[in-house]
Amino acid sequence: MKVFIVPPNSLILFDLVERYGHEPLSLMGAIHEKVINPEIESPPMNVTPEDVKKGLKYAGIEVPSGIRGRLALWGPLVDQADAAIIMDEAPFEFGCVGCHRTDEMVRYYIKKRKIPYIVVRYPNNESEAKVMVAKIKEFLEGLK
Amino acid sequence: MDKEFETRMIVISPSSSVTPDQVTRLVHSLGMEITVKETCYGAMIEGSKEDVHKALAAVRNLDPDRIFTKVRGFPIGDARRCRAHHGSRPGFTQLEKEWECLRLVDKGVTASACGEKVCEVPRPNKLPVKKLREIVDEVSK
Repeated sequence: MKVFIVPPNSLILFDLVERYGHEPLSLMGAIHEKVINPEIESPPMNVTPEDVKKGLKYAGIEVPSGIRGRLALWGPLVDQADAAIIMDEAPFEFGCVGCHRTDEMVRYYIKKRKIPYIVVRYPNNESEAKVMVAKIKEFLEGLK
Repeated sequence: MDKEFETRMIVISPSSSVTPDQVTRLVHSLGMEITVKETCYGAMIEGSKEDVHKALAAVRNLDPDRIFTKVRGFPIGDARRCRAHHGSRPGFTQLEKEWECLRLVDKGVTASACGEKVCEVPRPNKLPVKKLREIVDEVSK
């Protein structure tokens, strides 16, 4: 099954989803499709005006274009997802820093889609890490 | 570039005794059409999806619980990201943070594989405003 991860660029979540037999939907995969396209040249232009229009499906016109641009990449991933894993209470440098509103809207969209999801806490010590991995494993095995 | 190409980051947990050099040599020794780049955290590999997945399985065997991997959006040596071309590296803080955390996560993966029972310990609550006020009052006396 396809599992969306939040933050969508997380190595830990990507690896755990794959390790326990599912397909992670990540930001890197979406970016890969963009950057190998020869028509797009430089990093600031990775998001095109077309993408921002696509983002309108996920956020209203009054929402800043940066959020819509991000949602144009993240939104279709949530659309494809059969389940989601959300990492919560993480330090600020963990995840896609720079736009908390996008993060909030993605969480809202996951809940709105009514797909199964789990919220795990960022581990600060060994016992919390064991709990996090056990919860993710149990959730992913339950999806089969 | 072929869309069936995949670039992967292989990240070795700080608690592992495997070195990036070992990973790179192993991938080279497989004799597949894969580009390998040794890095400080492990390695990056690039090739057809099939070959990359075969190589990943071989690399994971070195230390299954302590070698982690994820897809990378930009190809190896891409001028927009590669430091040799003065590219920006916006994902580095995330990678650094997660690399630090891997020493905890690998313990979780091992415990999970062994079927170790774990129980959640509640985190201490945040300091209530009332309590903070009491501390401030006490200090400012």
